[in-house]
Amino acid sequence: MKHTLVFKTLPILVITLFVFFGFKNKVNTTSYKCMIQMTNYTGEGAYIAISLLNPDGTYEKTLYIQGDDDEWYSDITEWWKFHGKIRADIDAITGATISGGGRTISVIQIDDDKIDVGYKIRFESAVEDQEYYKDDVEFELTSESVKSKVDGNGFIRYVRIIPQ
Amino acid sequence: MTISIWRYSHLTLAISSSIFILLATLTGIVLAFEPVSNQLKPYAVKNADTFSLSKTIENLKSEYDDIISIEMDKNDFVIATVFTNEGKNETFYINPFTAKKIGNLIEKAPIFKFATNLHRSLFLKSTGRAIIGFISFLLLLMAITGVLLIIKRQGGKKHFFSKIIKEGSNQYYHIIIGRYALIPLIIITISGVYLSLEKFSLLPSDKNVHISNKEISTEASKLNMTDFDLFKSITLNDIECVEFPFSNDVEDYFVLKLKDKELYVNQYNGEVISQKKDGFVTLASSYSMILHTGQGTIIWAIVLLLTCFSILFFMFSGFSMTFDRRKNRIKIKNKFSKDAAEYIILVGSETGSTFGFAKVLYNALIAQGKSVFVSELNTYSSYKKAAHLVVFTSTYGDGEAPANARYFEKLVRTIPQKNKLQYSVVGFGSLNYKSFCKYAIIVDALLQSHQKFIPNLSLRKINNQSFIAFKNWVDFWSKSKGLNLEIEKPEKISHSKLFKVINKSKINSDHSFLIELEPTQKTHFASGDLLSIYPKNTHTERLYSIGKIGNNVLLSIKKHEFGICSNYLNQLKENDMLFADIKQNKAFHFPTSAKEVVMISNGTGIAPFLGMINNENHNHIKTYLFWGGRTKESYQMYSKHIDKAFYNKKLSGIYLSFSNEENQKKYVQNALAENEELISRVLKNKGVIMICGSITMRNGVLETLENISSSKLNIPLNMNQIKTDCY
Repeated sequence: MKHTLVFKTLPILVITLFVFFGFKNKVNTTSYKCMIQMTNYTGEGAYIAISLLNPDGTYEKTLYIQGDDDEWYSDITEWWKFHGKIRADIDAITGATISGGGRTISVIQIDDDKIDVGYKIRFESAVEDQEYYKDDVEFELTSESVKSKVDGNGFIRYVRIIPQ
Repeated sequence: MTISIWRYSHLTLAISSSIFILLATLTGIVLAFEPVSNQLKPYAVKNADTFSLSKTIENLKSEYDDIISIEMDKNDFVIATVFTNEGKNETFYINPFTAKKIGNLIEKAPIFKFATNLHRSLFLKSTGRAIIGFISFLLLLMAITGVLLIIKRQGGKKHFFSKIIKEGSNQYYHIIIGRYALIPLIIITISGVYLSLEKFSLLPSDKNVHISNKEISTEASKLNMTDFDLFKSITLNDIECVEFPFSNDVEDYFVLKLKDKELYVNQYNGEVISQKKDGFVTLASSYSMILHTGQGTIIWAIVLLLTCFSILFFMFSGFSMTFDRRKNRIKIKNKFSKDAAEYIILVGSETGSTFGFAKVLYNALIAQGKSVFVSELNTYSSYKKAAHLVVFTSTYGDGEAPANARYFEKLVRTIPQKNKLQYSVVGFGSLNYKSFCKYAIIVDALLQSHQKFIPNLSLRKINNQSFIAFKNWVDFWSKSKGLNLEIEKPEKISHSKLFKVINKSKINSDHSFLIELEPTQKTHFASGDLLSIYPKNTHTERLYSIGKIGNNVLLSIKKHEFGICSNYLNQLKENDMLFADIKQNKAFHFPTSAKEVVMISNGTGIAPFLGMINNENHNHIKTYLFWGGRTKESYQMYSKHIDKAFYNKKLSGIYLSFSNEENQKKYVQNALAENEELISRVLKNKGVIMICGSITMRNGVLETLENISSSKLNIPLNMNQIKTDCY
């Protein structure tokens, strides 16, 4: 008898707690300083899309775009398949392109609940009339990796990131 | 030789690139407003440029959590990227003295976005950029060929900026504006080409690298960043951008991008870790950008804007000049071959207008059953049956052969001629040029020295394509050949208007009379224009200079015993009607911008002046009238109009000369010599002298004026101050 009561009340309790915490922790976000250092390639400034990927590896959110001329956005092929459809407002998170050898510091916002649960961050890079790198830099978001330096495979030499 | 290549390439370049240039120019006009509108934004802080970097940092530190970068943009607005105390990352314009935000970054207006895109890539991405870069290069070539054409035309580099002779307004302003727009145009095109080359990485890369500072002190001194000597000595004017160290690691450093170099600065002791000087390529890129876009300076942006407008004008005037030239190119279909013709007409023409006269003579000769062959001077050859040669030629530049006469001299020397030919040469040109008909003189001399050519008539020079002077020559020439040629002005369809006779004076002792005609429909004309009349049953046009009295046409006509037209006009009575056309003759309109005007005429040449001195719009201009006639009695008929002008204070002086009076034997040029003080003053004060009447009188008058100018003013007579209408 007592057992059945526990069985009946526990889910309700769990749900209540869930809902309660769900509302109360209106998901904290943290700002991260993120520095992108480019290799000494020659040519136009690179367009770089920084995106958040969910554990399945699909796009969830655009975190930042280096490059403010949307004429060239379709060159960042994979990201464009995601962003091109929804065209979210990204005006607030765009910066200028970065030329070869240059570096830039941008600030990105990541929800705290995306850390240590398999979410990934991806840096795609494309240069006019040159290659496109789908995963120039890509790593899983862990409490360690969000204060680290990761080397790139394409136009990016490395990316450094630290919480603000 | 060269001139034609330059003109040809100038035109070819223009045609092939016109649409793109038009697009680039129109978008360029829009884009010129962007730097202007940015500059007018209120984000520039007074004296910010002399404020030190360390103070700026200090202020920012106290206002915000963390600083990422400080930037001084092309408009001299200070931009900071910071973390606000609420933990938000923001970029905005600041006042460096207070570190407070004074505005959000200017967002590029959609119209500028659109125009920029169209301007640099036609919405075709790389293909478009390549096209635009190439077009910019073509425009540069056009500017260069244009300079060469001006130099050629003005007769040398030294005269590049000397006065241009006005022949048509399109041509005149094409050159005038060309001279001024030239430098900005070359800058725009070179920077445009440079920017395109940069986009395609066709420029050598900047080889300068960061050089480490070897004398880094080892002592681990720790200073506050606001105490760095470097930061204290640098003002905001020196910097383009300062990036703050990424983290607190000692390996992370400040990046200072200055106007001509980049420094890495240790974040704990303020020492320069390494530096890189900007190479030529980097500097050139940055200047190309500023010069091409006008960023940061309103004045240059306005210069760019004006240059864009001048390009539009070049396109318009350039093409209309080309079309005019095409129109002038009259094709003549020869009925006879060169070896079958008795008469040979050879034409030398730069613009094609001289062909019209050749065609008139050709038609007249064909009508008389003569065999004629017309061609260009360049096609000079042997002529088996020819007995007569006529050369019509203009002159190019400083006495050079026109385009289609360039090889004539060589051909005459090398091609043997079987028959002896009687020749005469007619030169077409403008008295405004120093080398009036100079090439015709050369051709005349060339033929004279040739064994097979016998002079028939001496060289005749025709000013401003005067048809009357041409007709005069034709009469002379045809008489010498025992022909009676009737020539017709090459006319398009005649738009004859109906005029009513208002008044006709009796014929005076000089066989002259005045006739006043009223147009029956609204007609625009001015004194100095010509009235063209075709008397009944003839196809020959007669031209008379018009004096405009009120809205009526006043003509002064000398009756010739067998003159068809003068007799026809003489028998007209009040209220009779006649058909006539008005021909505009701008070259002999009253110069409204002059301060003083001297009018010189003899006989019936007074007609246009009678209109000019009675025009109420010429109040502020002083006029002096010189007139020469045979007797006092012949003056009577004009006195009414002259007295009226005197009474209304429109005429400041009148000087009469009579050649056939008992107590006076004086010509108009004698009266000029007597009044040399007046004439030299008018010449000196940039006044204008107008001459109307017979060619003999004109030649005498010009000689007298030349004497006055050289003796009184010590300069040769400036033909730009002389307007003539003589026959």
